[in-house]
Amino acid sequence: MSMDTMLFWFLSLIVIVPALAVVLLSNPVYSALSLVMTMVGVAAVFATLNAYFLAGVQLIVYTGAVMVLFVMVLMLFDLKHDLQTFSRGKVSGFLKIAGVGVMAGLLVGAISLATKKPSLIVEGSPLANELAATVASGADNTKILAENLFLRNMLGFEILGVLLLVIAVGTVALSRSKGGTHARD
Amino acid sequence: MGNSSLEIIINLAKTVVVFLMMVQAVPILVWLERRGSAFIQNRFGPNRVGPLGLVQLLADAAKFLNKEDFVPDKGNRLLFYAAPVFALIPAAVAYMAMPMSTPLKIGDSTFLIQGYEVNVGIVFILGISAMAVYTMLMAGFGSSSKFSLMGAMRASAQVISYELALGLAIVGVIMMYGTFNLTDMVLAQQGAFHFSGFGREFSLAFLPNWGIFYQPLGAVIFFAAAFAESNRLPFDLAEGEAELVAGFHTEYGGFKMLMFFIGEYGHMMIASGLMTTFYFGGYGIPGWTIAEVYQTGVSIFGSETGGSIFSSAMHFLSYNVKFAIFLWIFIQVRWTLPRFRYDQLMDLGWKTMLPWALFNTILTATVIFLASQYVI
Repeated sequence: MSMDTMLFWFLSLIVIVPALAVVLLSNPVYSALSLVMTMVGVAAVFATLNAYFLAGVQLIVYTGAVMVLFVMVLMLFDLKHDLQTFSRGKVSGFLKIAGVGVMAGLLVGAISLATKKPSLIVEGSPLANELAATVASGADNTKILAENLFLRNMLGFEILGVLLLVIAVGTVALSRSKGGTHARD
Repeated sequence: MGNSSLEIIINLAKTVVVFLMMVQAVPILVWLERRGSAFIQNRFGPNRVGPLGLVQLLADAAKFLNKEDFVPDKGNRLLFYAAPVFALIPAAVAYMAMPMSTPLKIGDSTFLIQGYEVNVGIVFILGISAMAVYTMLMAGFGSSSKFSLMGAMRASAQVISYELALGLAIVGVIMMYGTFNLTDMVLAQQGAFHFSGFGREFSLAFLPNWGIFYQPLGAVIFFAAAFAESNRLPFDLAEGEAELVAGFHTEYGGFKMLMFFIGEYGHMMIASGLMTTFYFGGYGIPGWTIAEVYQTGVSIFGSETGGSIFSSAMHFLSYNVKFAIFLWIFIQVRWTLPRFRYDQLMDLGWKTMLPWALFNTILTATVIFLASQYVI
């Protein structure tokens, strides 16, 4: 077994075992910390694929910001009440099974899509040549990523930004509406 | 890792050496902190044990090791024990990516004077040190005491808030040097102050070509945010003694407490190292370029290996002088400024530093664009 393969299996273990722990552990704080571990593992997988910039951003954004907020919220709130409401009732049980179904479908779709070559990286295209050259030289591929995001796929990138803005505004609006967590009386 | 087995062994040993360097610097810093605070407050400080009180630290370490190993009754044992160990990891791993001197060339082998080189150095260091928040959260939650939990919440909210300003202040530096690589940044800061833009060449012979002259605002924001990131005064609300006993490490004692200390000093060292690398020429010596130092070494020792060793040693010294100055500023500020109030802290972070950091980013981008496009 080569070094790369060994590293891959080791990292897979580091990603998958905590990912299972997220779902299987009953203590929500442990679950959140396991998710942190998964994120770190995913960052390491990115690093083995020579995507160092993505690995760093994965660490900064997910482990550094998103998960910290999760863990803070979990530690501050009394979760016993929520635990009971979520683990009882036929409706929520049905929703859970439906959620698992949707998730499984997404996974199968993602895997089947990933086995095909993405339309952008067609063999022989300038981008593919450039990518191959960078990977071969072992240099930093951040520049290619930036060109891809800000020159070739500008529209999609901006639309995603707007989508995030909509989500932020929507969350505030929902939490402040009647019955929300921060309702105005 | 290296081409021959010798290189691999030395590179592996280097990671241990850098870690030990970091840990060994902590007692000296603690001594400096105690003697320095005494000097600032017109006291003597610890001066009885050994010359200048230097052996006091060994006595302290022995005391810490002999203390009772204590876990709160209702605490979460796993998190309580994991937190101090975890405190060491981000600081140590991030510090290893810091370039401390020019590479040492002996025969065919090249050894970098840093733990390991990461091509996206800044992103790596920021990403790893962002994980330090979990230490506080684990300690705060694991202790199951309200002082600890409140301290942990305060600390993590503060660290997340200031991370934004810190990251944005660095964006200006990244745009200016056009690289994420720390060594490349240091190399770009060699020689006298000079740059080309607007179709002309500008140079000033008496100034070194340091980042601070291009990014003064970014440097100020970065340094202030670095204080907040390492939870030092005036931003040490996490352990506001008057309100919270000692913050997230209220329930800790003995060696576990010491490990939190080492983590905190580790973050101070990372901040000082980054400050040196980004804004003060890294290991470069003002008025003496790296090639010149190397040539001097060659002419003194008469061999290329000698020149390389001379160059590495001189630059290592230069780096450490700058590094030590920033560490001293950290200590001086701690004993000079009073603590902020929590709302002042959040206002400073979100309403002052973040907009100014954004402004700095936009200004830098505009100037770089104009300088490359137009001729005056």
